[in-house]
Amino acid sequence: MAGAAHPDAMQPSRPGRTRTARPQRPPQFPFRGRYAAYTLFDITGVLYLLVGFVALRVVWALGNGAAAWHEVQRELTHPSYVAFHVIALISVVFVGVRFFRLFPKAQPPRIGPVKPPPQPVILGFLYAVWIGVAGLMTAILAGGIS
Amino acid sequence: MSDQDRKKFVITRFDPDRDDEPRKQTYEVPVEPYWKVLDALNFIKDEIDPTLSHRWSCRMAVCGSCGMLVNGKPSLTCKDALSDYGDTIEVEPLSNFPVIRDLVIDLDGFMEKLHGVRPWIIRAKQRAAEEGTYRQSPEELEQFRQFSMCINCMLCYAACPVVANEPAFIGPAAIALGHRYNLDSRDEGNAERNGIFRGEGTVFSCSYANECSEVCPKHVDPAAAVNQAKINAVIDWAASFVVPRGGGE
Repeated sequence: MAGAAHPDAMQPSRPGRTRTARPQRPPQFPFRGRYAAYTLFDITGVLYLLVGFVALRVVWALGNGAAAWHEVQRELTHPSYVAFHVIALISVVFVGVRFFRLFPKAQPPRIGPVKPPPQPVILGFLYAVWIGVAGLMTAILAGGIS
Repeated sequence: MSDQDRKKFVITRFDPDRDDEPRKQTYEVPVEPYWKVLDALNFIKDEIDPTLSHRWSCRMAVCGSCGMLVNGKPSLTCKDALSDYGDTIEVEPLSNFPVIRDLVIDLDGFMEKLHGVRPWIIRAKQRAAEEGTYRQSPEELEQFRQFSMCINCMLCYAACPVVANEPAFIGPAAIALGHRYNLDSRDEGNAERNGIFRGEGTVFSCSYANECSEVCPKHVDPAAAVNQAKINAVIDWAASFVVPRGGGE
């Protein structure tokens, strides 16, 4: 087994008549088998925290005038920043795909009289919106739309 | 029997009167090609070591008694064919549960959680017997049928990383069964159950590892139930500000 679970995991509120062995964690948790994708998914939170700091720094520079803005723009072309953003992009795709897989089946079977559309339709809609928004933002950043 | 017909079983043993910690014990078992893992455990119990303790009952994946870790994966041992495994098979008690003895886990904690979600039909006012039964259409049945297939085998709990770390978490099977009653057209206990889902052991502890659905032998998809319960609990909470609740103190 991988190690001990929380000592109170699945313990009854009152102890039983005999001593029990401590609960163990799932053997493959956290890095083996399918747990690896889940752990990776959770770790991406750290990446988004760092992305948040970068965004704050850019906004801060924007408030400090044109010179600071151009300086931060120049810094963002550094290979380490570019690599960081490539990793962030891969991470966003990974998290997006994982979330999209969950979203359709998380819909309640019915809200009042309204039934959600079939799962493939929801999934298709999500991907269409994602591609549409990504395309729009790319066009704006490339100067195609001003 | 030829050499090919023998398999080695590494089984976790624990005697609360003698052992401080669980230990491993190895058995060589002559197996038949059609055997399930449970058949080998029963052979060990009957022919090699009568002190081995394990739970089983129906042998047809209905009762949910024989859930164990087989080569690290939560499995119903009456369903898993030995031919799907190699020469060495490791059998352990389900993870995330206290172990009473050998392969037998303590289910009392689960029973408390299950009772906590009120897995029965709640009515504001019970109908008198002479008024007849509560009727339900096939479409209404279809809303929750999938979640009613749970056999309480505990494989989902053994696979859930949140259960391992958050003792208060209600857990997949109990939430799926509570959600099943929330979807039942005959039930009027939504507000009560959604309050429980938002309270201690909240459904929002689930971070969607999805392992519960992967290991579920009855394709209940508890991860879907948990995440539907999240949305329902939020809608119910928001609605409570605008829709007056009946009854009162």
